[in-house]
Amino acid sequence: MKTNELISKLKQNDVRAVARLLTLIENEDKNVEAVLKNIWPLTGKSYIIGITGPPGAGKSTIVDLLAKMALKNNFKTGILAVDPTSPFSGGAVLGDRLRMNSAQKAGIFIRSVASRGHLGGLASTTRFMINGLEMLGNNITLVETVGAGQGDVEIVKVADTTIVVEVPGLGDEVQAQKAGILEIGDILVVNKGDRPGSDRLAKELKMMLSLGEHKKWTPPIITTTATKDLGIDELWNQIMNHREHLENEEINQTRLGKIKYDLENQLSQHLYTRKLIQIGENEIENMAERIFNRDIDPFTAIEEIIKQ
Amino acid sequence: MDKAKIRVLIAKPGLDGHDRGAKVIARALRDSGMEVIYTGLRQSPEDIVEAAIQEDVHFIGLSILSGAHTHIFPKVIELLKEHKAEDIKIIAGGIIPNQEIPKWKEIGIDAIFGPGTSTIDIIDYINRSVK
Repeated sequence: MKTNELISKLKQNDVRAVARLLTLIENEDKNVEAVLKNIWPLTGKSYIIGITGPPGAGKSTIVDLLAKMALKNNFKTGILAVDPTSPFSGGAVLGDRLRMNSAQKAGIFIRSVASRGHLGGLASTTRFMINGLEMLGNNITLVETVGAGQGDVEIVKVADTTIVVEVPGLGDEVQAQKAGILEIGDILVVNKGDRPGSDRLAKELKMMLSLGEHKKWTPPIITTTATKDLGIDELWNQIMNHREHLENEEINQTRLGKIKYDLENQLSQHLYTRKLIQIGENEIENMAERIFNRDIDPFTAIEEIIKQ
Repeated sequence: MDKAKIRVLIAKPGLDGHDRGAKVIARALRDSGMEVIYTGLRQSPEDIVEAAIQEDVHFIGLSILSGAHTHIFPKVIELLKEHKAEDIKIIAGGIIPNQEIPKWKEIGIDAIFGPGTSTIDIIDYINRSVK
């Protein structure tokens, strides 16, 4: 598809064009900037719900049920589901779709995304992929992260509402005290509510929240059993509550903050790439060798590179 | 385009539950650096084609052992045409009688890999045809 043809099809919400755009974005194709520049004013129109939590917690199943719930409430939804890329082969098996049968049957656009070496729970291009997906004309975007560890908190820089899914049996209350993934949840979900220990986990989470400082929004804790479609109504209601809370308070402020964060990242990436083209990759290698041999310290090395 | 990856959708249409072959292929393709979208059991041709379009894959891999390929192959080909997505190629594996293979290739199945095929041959085939 030529760039112009792609743009005009995107403006008609064409599914194939959107799928192709997502590919170009994740390949960091050289033509993609021209497309994104053109469609930029049309993006930013969906409410972004992030779902994160450890592997096997039930994230995909919950996303599937939320998509169905959104449909029932007359929202148009798009889904991005991120899975890890193998650090050895660069390949990936993307299996989130497997659990999203009812969303698929309902015709909801689902895109499986490989993290392609990016850490933090998302792919480096996820932000732009959300914008690309918005060319479907959807007003909700569900983003499922890689099965996340304690430090994978990048979703919070992307989502309007972040849902952290936990399951019983992963650790004691000290785990809940640690900073990281639990801190970023606007809504905390205890999934697998039919398993022993789920009540206790919900209590521990509640305790953890009560120890912290009081904020305007206190994350609700919701117990679900996703495989039996239990508790999803309440989860949906809380998402809508949080959305309302943001709209009254600070949504533009937080969205602006996120765009600023992205801009800073992109700028540093661009400046780095430019510098690299200017001085050549060899220079970095030379400098690394000199640092290794203790001929130069890292701070002076950076000063010298910048001066070049 | 050095960041481009080959994307393959592996589907197991029909009603039998023998997905070991599909899983072995998915794993082998992953280990060769491809991105594999695994859709699981009992997928209808409509599900498969819709998923392939959304995922913007180069190949659909169909694993069928039940004999249902006589219905599913033509249907998948027809649906791809309907969506103007004939550029997505179809490869197949499982139990497909040898004498039928020329017929299926003629109507639009790109390649058929029967039992005993080395995964290396499949990977090579996909790599060669994407380039």
